[in-house]
Amino acid sequence: MKVPVSWLREYVSFDLPLEELGRRLVFTSCEVDRIVPRGVPDVDGNLDRFRVGRVLEAVKHPNADRLQLCRVDVGEGDARQVVCGGWNFGAGATVAVALPGARLANGLELEQRKVRGELSDGMILAEDEIDLGTDHTGIMLLDSQLEPGTPLGDVLPLSDDVLEIETGYNRPDLTSVYGIAREVSALLDVDLAPPPGRDPERAGDEPVDVRVEDLERCPRYIGRLFRSVAVGESPPWLKARLLGAGMRPISNVVDVTNYVMLAFGSPLHAFDHARLAEGRIVVRRARDGERIRTLDGTERSLTPEELVIADAERPVAVAGIMGGEETEVSAETETVLLEAANFEQLGVLRSGERLRVRSEAQTRWEKGVAPELAEQAAVYATQLLVELAGARWTGDADVKGAFPERPVVRLRPERAEQVVGIPIPADEQRRRLMRLGFEVSDDWNVLVPAWRASDVRREIDLVEEVARFRLEEVPPTMPERTAMFGRLTHEQRLRRAVSDVLAGCGFVEAYTYSLQPSDPDPSALVLPVPLSEQQRVLRTTMLFGLVRAAQHNVDVGNEDVALFELAHVYLPTDGALPLEPWRLGGIARGGFFRVKGVVEQVFSMLKEEPRFTAAAHPFMASPACASVQGGWVAQLDPRLLEGEWAAFELDLAELFAQVPERILYDDVITFPSVKEDLAFVVDEAVPAGELIAAARDAAGPELREMRVFDVYRGEQVGPGKKSVAFSVVFQSPERTLADDDAAVLRGRIVTTLRERLGAELRG
Amino acid sequence: MSWASDYLDEARAAIVGAGSLQDLEQLRVGYLGRKSPLTLRLREAAQLEIEERAELNRTKIHLEDLVKTARRELERVAIERVYADSAVDVTLPGDPVPRGRLHLLTQIRREIEDIFLGMGYEVFEGDEVVDAWSNFDALTTDAGHPSRSQNDTFYLSEDVLLRTHTSPDQIRLMEARTPPIYAIMPGRVYRRDTPDATHSPTFLQVEALVVDRGITLADLKGTVLHFFRQLFGPAREVRMRTSFFPFTEPSVEFDVTCFICDAQGCPVCKHSGWIEMGGAGWVDPDVFRNVGVDPDEWSGFAFGLGIERIAMLRHGLPDLRLFWENDLRVLEQF
Ligand SMILES: [Zn+2]
Repeated sequence: MKVPVSWLREYVSFDLPLEELGRRLVFTSCEVDRIVPRGVPDVDGNLDRFRVGRVLEAVKHPNADRLQLCRVDVGEGDARQVVCGGWNFGAGATVAVALPGARLANGLELEQRKVRGELSDGMILAEDEIDLGTDHTGIMLLDSQLEPGTPLGDVLPLSDDVLEIETGYNRPDLTSVYGIAREVSALLDVDLAPPPGRDPERAGDEPVDVRVEDLERCPRYIGRLFRSVAVGESPPWLKARLLGAGMRPISNVVDVTNYVMLAFGSPLHAFDHARLAEGRIVVRRARDGERIRTLDGTERSLTPEELVIADAERPVAVAGIMGGEETEVSAETETVLLEAANFEQLGVLRSGERLRVRSEAQTRWEKGVAPELAEQAAVYATQLLVELAGARWTGDADVKGAFPERPVVRLRPERAEQVVGIPIPADEQRRRLMRLGFEVSDDWNVLVPAWRASDVRREIDLVEEVARFRLEEVPPTMPERTAMFGRLTHEQRLRRAVSDVLAGCGFVEAYTYSLQPSDPDPSALVLPVPLSEQQRVLRTTMLFGLVRAAQHNVDVGNEDVALFELAHVYLPTDGALPLEPWRLGGIARGGFFRVKGVVEQVFSMLKEEPRFTAAAHPFMASPACASVQGGWVAQLDPRLLEGEWAAFELDLAELFAQVPERILYDDVITFPSVKEDLAFVVDEAVPAGELIAAARDAAGPELREMRVFDVYRGEQVGPGKKSVAFSVVFQSPERTLADDDAAVLRGRIVTTLRERLGAELRG
Repeated sequence: MSWASDYLDEARAAIVGAGSLQDLEQLRVGYLGRKSPLTLRLREAAQLEIEERAELNRTKIHLEDLVKTARRELERVAIERVYADSAVDVTLPGDPVPRGRLHLLTQIRREIEDIFLGMGYEVFEGDEVVDAWSNFDALTTDAGHPSRSQNDTFYLSEDVLLRTHTSPDQIRLMEARTPPIYAIMPGRVYRRDTPDATHSPTFLQVEALVVDRGITLADLKGTVLHFFRQLFGPAREVRMRTSFFPFTEPSVEFDVTCFICDAQGCPVCKHSGWIEMGGAGWVDPDVFRNVGVDPDEWSGFAFGLGIERIAMLRHGLPDLRLFWENDLRVLEQF
């Protein structure tokens, strides 16, 4: 919202510098983005160089057909010669003149200069040159009563400042100049002027046919009829105000509706009454298939979800959103039906979403406007239409439904200190609330004003109203603690440790999107309305985000890519909500065993023995894949990612479930171990893992360690066979193993491996 | 002068002057060996005075020490010569060891967690796919609030959505525990924002919740101040401005003095000296009622921050999308 400061001062007066006011409003009321000057710069006596002038003589420029050569009296005795491009005036016209040295609204400085050989000692102004309009087709013509030489600033709003503020969703009252003035009044503890506008005498008693079929979505509709309306230009002060507030002047009638909307925050609309079928207003739901061409030139088709303003035949406006083109006020309009209504916020919000449109009116309705304001708006607009468009007010209708109740809330003044942490005197609280329009009884029953009725309903809301004016003074303190929790959970510590292991193994952590273009699980959760096809499905696996991240790195020329990610996947369930287990995923350039080695490191950190088995990959073809507790390790199909890559994915809950909460000391010192190497010749098809598993079965816990250190194929072992060499450690926690004991263990292993797997000990 | 002292003087001079280990060995054999004058003389020990025998023994021990010392010195000189000749180029790089990294966002997240752990908070992580109750209703977000719109929020169904903030964790946490509660809740959140330099449909938030007796806005300010001083340096100040969030009342935004220009004004703080950091407020009593916490006994505050924003501000990254592209050239800088 842009607030011209001259307008604000009409409702509240203040002495403190504007910058300071802006700074304080930021704490108490709303964001103040900036304060910008508008119009002619008010610096270095610049305003003195703008005068009222009277044209004494105007003839064609001797050297230019399109220019006039004028002599203009600006109250200096001698007239000045001015060259002018406008032709909408002649001798005798009263005009606005800028003298040499003047700086115009666009910042240009005027100089005395020759134009086609003739001296121009000033400039006759068009409205756009001093920011009082957008028209440049002719110069501004002023009231002929004005004395030449009168400072222009006395008769035109040449210069102003504008507060650019942002208002919150909960403060519809701040989308109006009067509402901002009310905040300033509460902030500075100064009086607020009564709301502007007084009904003029009504010049007739014509019936106005207004019917409201949906009083829930339109709890109020005031329709006022105006005859003999002279549609034309607005006066400069009104144009200046609208331009300052960021709206384009259109015509006096439309400008009045916009001006009053900006003043009170309750939007209005003006219809050309002659174009309303049977002169009737019906507020109803649209019928299926009805269409309307709105003021933005868009043809819109409507559904019964939409509330419309209709005449006897067709929709003429979408309620709270935008008027229709056909009933727009135009230069020919003589009779105006003024709408000062109220539309319920949710209805407007949904209509706006469905129709994909935004308007000034809509942004106000969406925040919830009090129906009481419609009357204020109608009154002020009536006064202005009569004053500015010479209209005769001849008819009035006011259809009302139920208005939201104004809450009465009890406030305990001592509550504020308990919330804010600093004392706020009771009389300060009372004064502040009354400045804001609350009515406070002696025993602290507080009646909330209509324009805050939706937002202030409870004691805590009143506390906020007084607290927000003291936020700057709140000191920093710390809560007094009676309980402490400062520790990560076991699982959180393990997750950190897992990440650290991966980083230690040379993997770089990645963050990939939970939403992926596709997922191998056909039941994965899909967004019905995704933002893009790239982010559509909630992943059930970490793999594809990592593949894309790896691909991106390859594409930009990075080498030695090794990435991991620790995050959620989203597994569909029978219920409404998915399961969200933590997963560890990794991908690296290189073979299966590079990645498997890293997985082994993770297990080792977790003090778990990984059990790898050859397995088909759960959802894709893979040249080499093993399952392991909680997941898989696999070589990637080169069609997925070009070159040699491998990946893994582990479910952390499954892994962490086996991790001991504490590690107990294992006595490896007292009784020495026996180390030996054993090699077995076995069929090529028998996995090393099965040899180890069988050996463990055979030898029991005294087989402390058994790891492969060599696999040999060749003539010595024969075709279809391989020799697998293990380093083996026997150890008992209870006794020293003698050579005989080790021999017994070895014997059991040899026998079992031969019987189960046909493995022969190599001599 | 005795025979022994003459012998010692002569042998010492010879040993100290030995130029190589071989020379030294010859001298040792000559002066201390089985056939050396000293050994021969000691063999006659039985015929000697006790005093002289003692002197000869002392001389022998002394000479043995001298030989040992001289040998160590000669060995040191010899090995230094060998090393000097081998001439290793120590400026060549070390053997490559692959070094991974934690993502910058994880580093920041851990830093934030550690600051709050230090203040006696727990870290709570809830689900990202939630029902409208915990994302909106329980947080007293009315039906017209823009955040509920299809245009702002990813819905899976009418009632199930991707959380738009970490605040549903507040609800989960309060439902699961009895106060006092001191917790932070980091995690992914989702909003229907088209990706650009400062928006991403997925981003990371961290939220803090305190529920205890007698908690005030002053406690909120003190906690936020401590946090930002830990994160951005001891000279930081914070301020609170009025704001609106459905689930806090009063609601505030908090700003921290710019740590780049030390609040003097720079492009990062838009020349205001202040940087907007996040939203906060005193927990709305209706939120407490919705989760069965008695607002007459308990009060609390909550505040939330964007983790990417902190990372961008502190490390000067210009574009939020960099965090999700996972380009090693970026990730390996941190
Ligand atoms: Zn700065």
